Amino acid sequence: MDPRVTADLRYSVEVERPGMLHAAFVRSEVPHARVTVVEPPDLPDDVVLLTPEDVADLGLYGCQVKDQRVLADTARHVGDVVAAVAAPTRAAARAAAKSIEVAYKDLPAVTDPLAAVAPGAPLLHAQAAASAKDAVSIDVRPIPGTNVCHRFRIRHGDVAAGFADAEVVVEEVYRTAGAAHAPMEPHAALAEWEDGKLTVWSGTQTPFNTRADLAGAFGIDPERIRIIAPPMGGSFGAKTFVRLEALVAALARKAGRPVKAVLDRAEEFVTLNRHPAIVRVRLGAKRDGTLVAKEVDCWVDTGAYADCGPGVATKMGYAGVGPYRIPHVRVDSLAIYTNLPPNGAYRGYGAMQSVWASERTMDLLARELDMSPLELRRRNLLRDGDVFATGEVMHDVHFDDCLQAAADAVDYEADPRGKGLCVLLKGMQTPSRAAISVERTPVGFVVRSASCEMGQDVRQSIKLMGAELLGCEPGQIEIPDPDTDTSPFDTRTTSSRSTYMMGRALREAVADLERDGERGFGEVRNEGGLDPDTGQGIASTHWHQGAAAARVTVDEDTGRLTVEHVHAAVYAGRVVNRAGAELQNEGSMLMGLGTTLFEAVEFADGQVTNANLSDYNVPAFGDLPRLTHELIEREGAEVHGLGETALPPIPPAIGNALATLGAHVTELPITAERVLEALER
Amino acid sequence: MTVDVILNGRATTLEARSDEMLLPVLRRQGLLSVRETCGIGVCGACTVLLDGEPVSGCLMLTAAAAGREITTVEGLDEADPVLRAFNEEHAFQCGWCTPGFVLTVKAMRPGDDVREALGGNLCRCGCYVKIEEAVRKCAT
Repeated sequence: MDPRVTADLRYSVEVERPGMLHAAFVRSEVPHARVTVVEPPDLPDDVVLLTPEDVADLGLYGCQVKDQRVLADTARHVGDVVAAVAAPTRAAARAAAKSIEVAYKDLPAVTDPLAAVAPGAPLLHAQAAASAKDAVSIDVRPIPGTNVCHRFRIRHGDVAAGFADAEVVVEEVYRTAGAAHAPMEPHAALAEWEDGKLTVWSGTQTPFNTRADLAGAFGIDPERIRIIAPPMGGSFGAKTFVRLEALVAALARKAGRPVKAVLDRAEEFVTLNRHPAIVRVRLGAKRDGTLVAKEVDCWVDTGAYADCGPGVATKMGYAGVGPYRIPHVRVDSLAIYTNLPPNGAYRGYGAMQSVWASERTMDLLARELDMSPLELRRRNLLRDGDVFATGEVMHDVHFDDCLQAAADAVDYEADPRGKGLCVLLKGMQTPSRAAISVERTPVGFVVRSASCEMGQDVRQSIKLMGAELLGCEPGQIEIPDPDTDTSPFDTRTTSSRSTYMMGRALREAVADLERDGERGFGEVRNEGGLDPDTGQGIASTHWHQGAAAARVTVDEDTGRLTVEHVHAAVYAGRVVNRAGAELQNEGSMLMGLGTTLFEAVEFADGQVTNANLSDYNVPAFGDLPRLTHELIEREGAEVHGLGETALPPIPPAIGNALATLGAHVTELPITAERVLEALER
Repeated sequence: MTVDVILNGRATTLEARSDEMLLPVLRRQGLLSVRETCGIGVCGACTVLLDGEPVSGCLMLTAAAAGREITTVEGLDEADPVLRAFNEEHAFQCGWCTPGFVLTVKAMRPGDDVREALGGNLCRCGCYVKIEEAVRKCAT
């Protein structure tokens, strides 16, 4: 029986080491201030206090921009960690953290991305150096003297000429709220130093990126840092890059003992959220529905620290073009600092925010053209051999099949009223590298991989692929937890890449094993990347493709929107792990439903006002509509990633369905108030 | 203080502070299926059965359990039909919330509405479709 059912799986929060202390954090109560930490005279002897002075020797960290100190001497958001304590028990640590006094010298704060790019806005980071390329697949382009930590552009064709040629032009501005990942298991990490070597057990999707970033901050060789990644109780992007690892490592260094931290639920809401975004779309077409020009502008609120905001802004930028042939495209996407908690990777990685805008605009255009939204999309979808706005030639694309399957599931062509569609393109981490090893044992095989388990069942997928290649039973393959000392390098467990990339690396490793007899090693790379100034290059060597359809009803008196049926069609190529793949679709769709209907991190003066699971709702059983989906396979096709594809198309499919009933809502979530307001317009 | 309970079928004396909830006390007993998540009784991840009824361990004072029967997933054997149904339908992803769902399903009575009965258990991975299938399987 699966250990997850019998509760025998041990998670990151359950790691323990002899003599370990427990951490608690002192967090800023204001959005922007110089801080001074005052040690109370009566701090118990067994409590270790870490202040900004204790970490003054440590370097800055940050996966794409090195802009974060281990402890903030300038607090940049409410909840920024300004001091930390370690004590023999969690309760003692919390009590000690409460006793620490912090003096604030307030600085002007900005909590809105548009205000943050206005002239005269307070600056969050005087200057921030780009990170080493270990975690970055893009060249970061800050705009000096502003709060823009990265701007991404696409310049394709001649947009002015394109719009001059257009016979119909539509334009709209869309907003999406920040969202909480809300993994059931909170963030947890434990650090231990021994003979100058640091070991960190952390529930993370990014062991190798975390090792590289810690090596920079602590000024030691990456080989002297070991990251072990136990299974996570959910992550959805929350447990990427350095989160608690630097804090517990610095505490353990001062305490001379292992230190463990586990966040409480309220702390989760100030640790990492999803980027709120404003996306403006302008779209031009000929009367017959042929798209000729598109402009996309994204203002992406990355919060107090860049984290992977530059990458998110880039992906949001090109996903906003949509899976269409458009000869003239301009995209400008800005990752902007504000005095809010940092925003980072979140299932879909920026695609949702711009797909929401782009696909709602397609329906606006269809209405202007008096054309079926399905027909408008069909007429313009990318097909094999077409050129995308990045200049790359599309291959292995099946947008048509996905869209048609979604439309058929709700009987769209018979009667489109109350129904909506969405089709999307989403890229996979490019460039990246994945390696894996296989060793023969007396009872089977040991496969070592840094693919991290967070519920997506990646180990079972590797076992199934391994069993097929090795001619054994999946149960004969053992897969230890990712460990940077023993697992071969992998870029990270993100962007729905593991089954595809590790599967290919595994094929190499098994071939190597057959030559060697005892052990085999396999590695694959995907090469590419985009020029941030022109958006030209290879956005993705492998496209995630999907579509969704929704059928809704609305109560015109109360504004209550009811989703009657939602369907997603995702291109899988070849399904490896049937149950796992189905659960990825279902989970993505439910998360998309929460984003559409009610999920929003709310702020007042930079303070999160709904930092608990009562005021911040995630979808519960009662929210489940009729939810159906399909995995599209093709004979002899390559495996395609699908861990996130079914999330971004849910909000636009529902929004488009609602629009046919007279409510054009441009802001997520689609609350009853927004529906009523839209009905009145 | 000490609190005598029947824990997973065995007479057990729990050590607890007088203001301590069941959740940390049971975890100290090594019952790691009881998991702290929301801390305010809305997510169901720390569900235990108290005399057969599901309660949130994060809101239940240990002292109030005196003399009563507490069941956690560790107290079920692998032949348990609910465990088997969850396993066969693959009604889990990360597995964190699974014990709470299993125990809540165990307390369901014939005719109970699945969505209503499980409304107090959250699964952020979004396994509700398969959980519903698993519950139907248990019922038949």
